[in-house]
Amino acid sequence: MGQTSGRQERNKKPEVAPSEIMEAEIEVQNTKEETKDVKAKNQKLTSVFGLADLKNEAIGLYNLGQSCCLNSLLQVFLMNIHFTRILRRITVPPSPAQRRNNVPYQMLLLLEKMQCGKCKAVGPTDLACCLSEHRVELFVQHDAAQLFLTLWNLLKKQMKKPVEELSDLYTICIQEHLACQKCSFEVKNNSTMLTLPLPVLDANSHRLKTLEDCLQYFFHPEELTGQNMCFCQQCGRKTTFLQSMKLVHLPQTLALHLKRFCFERSSRTQKLSLHLPFPQELDLREILTESQCQADDSEKGTWQFELFAVVAHSGLSSCGHYCAYIRSLTDCKWYCFNDSEVCQVSWDDVKCTYGHSNLYWRETAYLLFYMKKHPQQPWPGVSECL
Amino acid sequence: MAQWQEVQSLANTYLEQVHQLYAGSALPMAVRQSLAAWIESQNWRQAAEPLCSQARMLFHSLLVVLGERLGSLGSDREDFMLKHNLRKAHRDLQAEFEEKPETFANLVANLLQEERRILRLGQAGEQEGSAPAPSPAPESGREQQIQQRLGDFHRALQEAERAFRHLEDLQDAFDFCFKVHYRPDGERNSDPEYIQELKSLQDKLQNLHRQRQEVLALMQQLLRRSETLQELLQQELGGWRARQQRQCLGGPGDTNLRPLETWFTELGQGLFQLRQLLRALGELRQKVTYARDPLVTETPLLEQRLQEQLTHLLRSAFVVEQQPSTPNAAKRPLVLRTAGKFSTRARLLVRLHDRNHRMEARIHIDRDPPNIRGFRRFNILTSSSKTLLAGDSPQEGLICDFQYLTLKEQKDSRAGKGKGGGGEGPLVVTEELHLITFTLAYAYCGLELELEATTLPFVIISNNNQFSSAWASILWFNMLSSDPKAQQFFSSPPPAPWPRLAEVLSWQFQSVAERGLSRDNLLMLAKKLLGSKPSLDSTVAWPKFSKDSGSGFSFWAWLDGILGLLQEHLKQLWKKGLILGFVSHKQKEKLLKCKRSGTFLLRFSETVLGGVTFTWVEHPETGPPIFHAVEPYTASELVSLALPDIIRDYHMSMEEKNPENPLKFLYPNIARDEAFGPFYSQRMEGNLSDSQKYLNRRLIRVSSRPPNRRQTEEELVVATQDLQMLQLQPRGQGTQQPGGLPLPQPLGTLQVTPGNLGTPQGVTMSPGILQVTPGNVGTPQMMPTSPGTLQVTPGNVGTPQGVTRTPGTLQVTPGNVGTPQGVTMTPGTLQPRGLGMLQPQPQSLEPPQVASGVPNFQGTLQVAPGAVGTVQVLPGGLRGDSGTLLGTVAVSSGTLPAEQGTLPAELRDLELLPGGRDMQELLQSLQELEPGLEAAGLMPDVVPTLEESFQLSPGSAALLDQHDPFLPQPEDSVLPIVPSLFTDFPPLHIDPSDFQ
Repeated sequence: MGQTSGRQERNKKPEVAPSEIMEAEIEVQNTKEETKDVKAKNQKLTSVFGLADLKNEAIGLYNLGQSCCLNSLLQVFLMNIHFTRILRRITVPPSPAQRRNNVPYQMLLLLEKMQCGKCKAVGPTDLACCLSEHRVELFVQHDAAQLFLTLWNLLKKQMKKPVEELSDLYTICIQEHLACQKCSFEVKNNSTMLTLPLPVLDANSHRLKTLEDCLQYFFHPEELTGQNMCFCQQCGRKTTFLQSMKLVHLPQTLALHLKRFCFERSSRTQKLSLHLPFPQELDLREILTESQCQADDSEKGTWQFELFAVVAHSGLSSCGHYCAYIRSLTDCKWYCFNDSEVCQVSWDDVKCTYGHSNLYWRETAYLLFYMKKHPQQPWPGVSECL
Repeated sequence: MAQWQEVQSLANTYLEQVHQLYAGSALPMAVRQSLAAWIESQNWRQAAEPLCSQARMLFHSLLVVLGERLGSLGSDREDFMLKHNLRKAHRDLQAEFEEKPETFANLVANLLQEERRILRLGQAGEQEGSAPAPSPAPESGREQQIQQRLGDFHRALQEAERAFRHLEDLQDAFDFCFKVHYRPDGERNSDPEYIQELKSLQDKLQNLHRQRQEVLALMQQLLRRSETLQELLQQELGGWRARQQRQCLGGPGDTNLRPLETWFTELGQGLFQLRQLLRALGELRQKVTYARDPLVTETPLLEQRLQEQLTHLLRSAFVVEQQPSTPNAAKRPLVLRTAGKFSTRARLLVRLHDRNHRMEARIHIDRDPPNIRGFRRFNILTSSSKTLLAGDSPQEGLICDFQYLTLKEQKDSRAGKGKGGGGEGPLVVTEELHLITFTLAYAYCGLELELEATTLPFVIISNNNQFSSAWASILWFNMLSSDPKAQQFFSSPPPAPWPRLAEVLSWQFQSVAERGLSRDNLLMLAKKLLGSKPSLDSTVAWPKFSKDSGSGFSFWAWLDGILGLLQEHLKQLWKKGLILGFVSHKQKEKLLKCKRSGTFLLRFSETVLGGVTFTWVEHPETGPPIFHAVEPYTASELVSLALPDIIRDYHMSMEEKNPENPLKFLYPNIARDEAFGPFYSQRMEGNLSDSQKYLNRRLIRVSSRPPNRRQTEEELVVATQDLQMLQLQPRGQGTQQPGGLPLPQPLGTLQVTPGNLGTPQGVTMSPGILQVTPGNVGTPQMMPTSPGTLQVTPGNVGTPQGVTRTPGTLQVTPGNVGTPQGVTMTPGTLQPRGLGMLQPQPQSLEPPQVASGVPNFQGTLQVAPGAVGTVQVLPGGLRGDSGTLLGTVAVSSGTLPAEQGTLPAELRDLELLPGGRDMQELLQSLQELEPGLEAAGLMPDVVPTLEESFQLSPGSAALLDQHDPFLPQPEDSVLPIVPSLFTDFPPLHIDPSDFQ
C-alpha cells in the first residue's frame, strides 16, 4: 500500500527508448539550421526534451551497504533534468574496459536502467564498482559534501564533450579580495567553487538564525589580525588585512553546504542539530549588499532561486543515514528518496529537516540545492549547439 | 477502511474509470467484489517480486477462498448468475496463471494501485466540488491535515507490520534450509547437488537481505512521517499554549484539549507499536546475521531516533491544563493569596498507561528559585503528591488535579527583604513571580521517563488590596515575556508595544463586561499614556503603566477602578455601548458641540478613581454652547441607585425656570428613554392594597446651577445625590417602601438629633449623612457641612441663624413669622428637596420621637417649620388613612426648590418665589397659603374639603399613578415653587405608635 505515485504513473506513460532520444536530438540539430527564429527553436527543443525529461521518474536505488550517501547524491544528479540532458549527450568510450570505468557513462546506464526498468528500485552496483575503481570506497560512510565534490570532479574529468555545460551548471564564481588595511594594496583572486560552505555558527559560536543569515555571514568581510595577519608587499611587513568575498556568477544549480558540525577540544566532530530554517524561494539580490557582488544587472537578474533538493542526514557525525528530498522538476512535487523507498511527501515533511536543537537523531538538512527560477538563457546547455 | 467499498461510493465519472479498469482485466470484477476484504489484506506487491514463493501461495489461497465462497452461496435466483460467473472465473484464472503466479500477483497489485489512484482523484474532486460552498475554516484545514497524516501513518504502520511478518517467514525459511542443507566443511565442491543447494541458499539469503532493507526503509519512512506529524502537533500545542495564555488574560480563544489529546494519543500509540516492531527486528538479527547485515548498522540508529522522538512527544504532552487560580477570581487566574485556597491541574495528552503501574505526580513551588534578593519562599501546605488518575471512562484522560492547595511563606524567606543597600532593590511582592512545577514518573511498556510541566508564573499576595497591581504584573508578563519561566522578568521589565497593550486592555473590558474597547477609546487611552497620538511602534514603559504617576494613582489603578465599576454596576450599559467611556475633556466638547441641547454622553472620570459622569450640552440663545458635567458617581453611590435611574430622574434646577431633566438625548442622537428605558428599574404601579398607605417616592438627582459660573466644571455642579442614602427609620415601625424604588441599605447614616434646650449643636458631617439638628432657643447654630449634606436647622424665635454652607448644601431653615432670618446663602445653594426624603426637625419642643419618627414617605415632602408653633409636616403615615399627604411645603430659600413633582398641584396658585427674593416676601406668600394648609395639615378627616382646595387627595397613590409627578411631564414643569415656611401652625403630634 504506500507505493509511490511516481511509479503508478509510470505504467501508463509512453516509454521512449534511448535510441529515440538520440534520434530526436539529431533531428533537432538538423532542424536548427533551417529555422531562423530562435524562440521557435527553443520551444521545439523544449517540447522534445520535455518528453525525454518526463522520464525522470522517481525511482529508488537499493542500498548496497552504506551506500545511502551515494544514492542520495545520485538521485540529486539524476533528478536534475538539466544534468541528465547533458549526460545523455556524452561521448561513449570506445572500449568495454573504458566504459566500465567511465563514471558518466555508468551514470547514464544507471539512469536508463532506472527510467526504463519496471521496478520500483534498481541497484547501482555497476556504478558503485566503477567508483571504487576511482578510490571511492564501497561500504564506507561518506560525507555527502565531500562525495559530491568527488563525483563532480570525476564527471568533469571523464566527460569529454559537454564538459563546459557541466561547469556552467554547477560552478559558482567568486572573487576573493585581500586588502591591506595600512595601505591601498589589494589582491584579487578569482576562484570557482562547487558549493558554498556556509557556517551555521558565527565567530562567537552564536547560532545563526536562518539560511539568509548564514549567507550574509559567509560574505561578511573578515579582518585578519594577530596570528592571521598577512604579508603586504607594499608595506613590506605583516599587516592587518581585510578579507572579503564577492559573488561574480551563480550557476543554474546552486549547492549550499551547511557546516553542521563543530570540532570540540577532543578533536571529535560534533554534529550540530540546531534549528536552521531555509526558504523555498531564495533571492540573493535581497540578501547580499552591493559591495558583496561583482556582477552586472543581467547576471543579478537571474539570482532568484527555488529549492530543488535537500540532502538530509540523521544520526551522529560518526554514523548515520542519508536521504534526499527532491522536488521533481517535471511534476513539481516533493519526493523523499530513502534508498529503495521513494515516496511523495509535502513541504511540511521537508521542513522537518530544519533541525531541532534537542533532537539529535532527527534528519537535518546538510546539502541544499537551489535552482534558478529564470535562467539567463532558457536552455543553457543547448545554447552551445545553436 | 475497505477500499472496495470506498470505490463503490465514488461519483459516476470515476466509477466509469473503475469499470474500464476491470473491463479488460484478467481478474473479473465479480471476484474482486466477492473476495474484497481478503484481496485487500494480502501483500500482492511483495508477492510480485521475482524469486518470491509467496506469489504461488497467494494464488492458490485465492482459488481456495474462491471455492469456499462458491460453496457458501445459496441456491437463490439472485445468486445463480454470480455463482456462474465465479465458477467461470475460477476456471479461467487457474488456466491462465497456474504457471505464472507472479504475473497474477503483479496484476492484482497494479489493479489495487490503480483503484487507489482513482479513489484519490475522486475524493479530491469531491473536496474541490464542495470546497467553494462552505469554505472550511483554516484551522479545520489544519485539523484535516493532521487527521489525514495520522491515517497515513497508521496505514504505513500496518504495511510495515505486514512486511515484517513476511520477513519473518523468509527468515524462517532460510534458517530452516540453511540448517538442513549447509555443511560447513567437507565435501563442499564435490557434490553438484550441494552446489545447487548452496546456490539456492545464496538466493534465499539475497532475498532475505533485500527484505530486511525494505523493512528498514519502511521503518525509516514511518519515523519520517511521525516526525512531520509531531512537528504539526507541536505547532498545534504551541497554538494551544498561546491561546491558554491569552485566555488567562481574558482574551478570546478555545482552549479545549480534546483534539490534541486524541492526536497525541494516536501518535504515541503508533510510536510504541513501532518500538515493538523495532525490538522484534532486533530479535531477528539475533537469530540470523551475516556480513553487512543492514540490521546491525541500521537498527540501533532507528532505535535511538525513535526513542528520542517518543521522549520528545511525551515530554511535550505533559501540560498544565488549568493554571493556578483561586476559585472565586475565575477571570483573573495566576494571582494567589497566602492562606487562600487554589487549584491547578496537569494533563498527560498521551493517554497511554499501564493499569498495574501507579504513576505519581508531585508538585513543587519554585524548584529553582531565581537569584533575587529577598525572594520569598513558600511551602505548599497540602499534600504535594498525587497518583495520576486515569479516570474511569477513557474520555477523561490522564490528569493530576491538585485542589485546595494553600501556600505558606517560609519564616526566614524574607531575610533579605528590605535590607537592600545599594544597587538593585528587591522586587515588590506583586512583581515577584513564582512557578509550580509538576513532575511525573512515567512508565509504560518498559519506557521510563520523568516528565515535567510548569505553570505560568503567578503572583502571591497577602492582602486583597494588592490584587489589582498583581494582576497588572500578570498582564505585563504574559503580554511580553518570551520565556514562560522567566522569574526575573520584573528585574528589568521591557516596555510594551502599544498595539499589543491596547489589545490586552481591550480584553479586560471584554471579559468583565463583554464589550472591548473601541478605536476611539483606545486612542484616548493612548494619548493619556503616551501623551501623543500612538504610532505602531509606540511603547509604554512598565512604571508608566503601573506606578503612581503623581496624580495619586497609576494608569492601571485608574483603569482597574473603572473595570470594577463596570463589573459591579454598569455591565449592561457598557455592553450595549451606551457608555462612550474614554473621552477626554476636549474631545467630549468637540463631540457635543454640534449636537442639539440636551445631548449628553457618559464618560469615565479622569480625576476620580472608578467614577462615571455625564456631560451634556446646552445652547444658549447667544454665546457659545455650554457644557455641564456632574460630579462623578462612584460605586458607593451606584450601589444604592442605578445609573439609568439617576439619568432618568436627574434634574437641574435653574434660576427662573423650573427644574428639569437636562438629559434628553444620548450622544449621538438617541432619545434618553429609548436608550436607557430597558434599564430603568421598575416603577411602583397598581397594587393599591399595599401601597395606598404611602405615597410613591423616588430618589432623584438634582443639580442646581451656580448662577455666576455658567461653565460648570463637573466638580462644581453639585447634586444632592447623597440624599438617597438616607433612610429614615421611624422608630420600631418597620416602614417599608412599598415597591417603588428598591432602595438598598443606606450607606449614609441618618443622624437625627433633636436638640435640647440650651444645647448648641454643632455637627460636622461627611457627605451622605443627613443631619437634622433642631436648634435651640437662643442658640446660634453654625453648621459647616460638606457638599451634599442635607442640613436642616430649624431656627428659633428671634434667633438669628448663621449658617454657612458650602455650595450645594441643602439647607432648610425655617424661620418664624416676623423673624427676620439672616441666612446667608452661597449662590447656587441647593434647595431642600431631598426627594421626599428631606426630613427636617421640628423644634425642640417636640418630643424627640417626632423628629426621628418621621416616616419616609414616598413622594412626601416633609418640612419642618421652624417656629415655636412647630410645623408638622408630615402627613402620610398616620394610620394610613385618607389624608396621606399633608401640608407639603418646600422650604425655599434663594433658589428654586428642586423637586417639582412632589408638590400637590394646587399649590400652583401659590405665588412663585423667584430666586433670591427677600425673605420677607417669602414669608408673606406663605401667609397667603395659610388657611388651606391649616386645614390640610390639622384635620385629616376634612380631607374632602381639602381636596377641593388643595386637591390633595388621600389616596395619593392613585393620584400618582395617573399622573406621576416624577415622570418628567410638560405640565409639571410649570409647577410653581412652593414656599417653604409654615407659620402659626399648631403642632401636630406624630406618635410613632401611629405607624403601622
